[in-house]
Amino acid sequence: MAESIAPKLLKSLARLRCSIFQTTFNPTSRRTGAKYLKARLRGPSMVQYYPERSPSIGDLNKMYPGWNLVDVHEVRRNISIQEHKDRGKGAPKKAKNKEESRRTKKRR
Amino acid sequence: MPKFAKNIRVLRDMKARRGVKDNEILRRAYLYVARNETLPPQVRYQAQLQLNTFDKYTRPTTVKNRCTASGRGRGIISEFGLCRTQFRLKALQGFLPGVQKASW
Repeated sequence: MAESIAPKLLKSLARLRCSIFQTTFNPTSRRTGAKYLKARLRGPSMVQYYPERSPSIGDLNKMYPGWNLVDVHEVRRNISIQEHKDRGKGAPKKAKNKEESRRTKKRR
Repeated sequence: MPKFAKNIRVLRDMKARRGVKDNEILRRAYLYVARNETLPPQVRYQAQLQLNTFDKYTRPTTVKNRCTASGRGRGIISEFGLCRTQFRLKALQGFLPGVQKASW
């Protein structure tokens, strides 16, 4: 029959085990924050989630300043916006303060 | 190059991902100090205050895996990074190797 082992002995055994396997001796289980240093960095894989987008015409103009490519869709969009504005159908002006915003006006 | 949705939610998510990557090491260092019970409470408190000064888009929890094709935020099949609709479309078109329509 095995006798019950003294807690002091168990503690010294744990300390010895830690020194052999190069782990931290932490008998009271205090939080040392080691897990934040040990965990792998998640950022590098996070930024690769979305596939790379092909550069737009605006991007190309920025990359190569001399090119001056014309984005047909953008030109067409600007023309239609201008037409809307001329007919008084443009987007409403941004509210400068709370009183101007339509959200507060609607509530009564 | 593959096309994908460019809406504000996707752009915001990309911003968050970049922010997480750029600030990760510094945040980890502060986290280590703030969560370390062996350090004096004042030091830990200061570290926690520093953590609170970081931008919203530097926290990994603000990053959400959205559909890489449509930008949808719900119903994502994470193995493919696609929402259920795009997954179905791409699978039927044969763009996802090994995926077959079940039939028995």
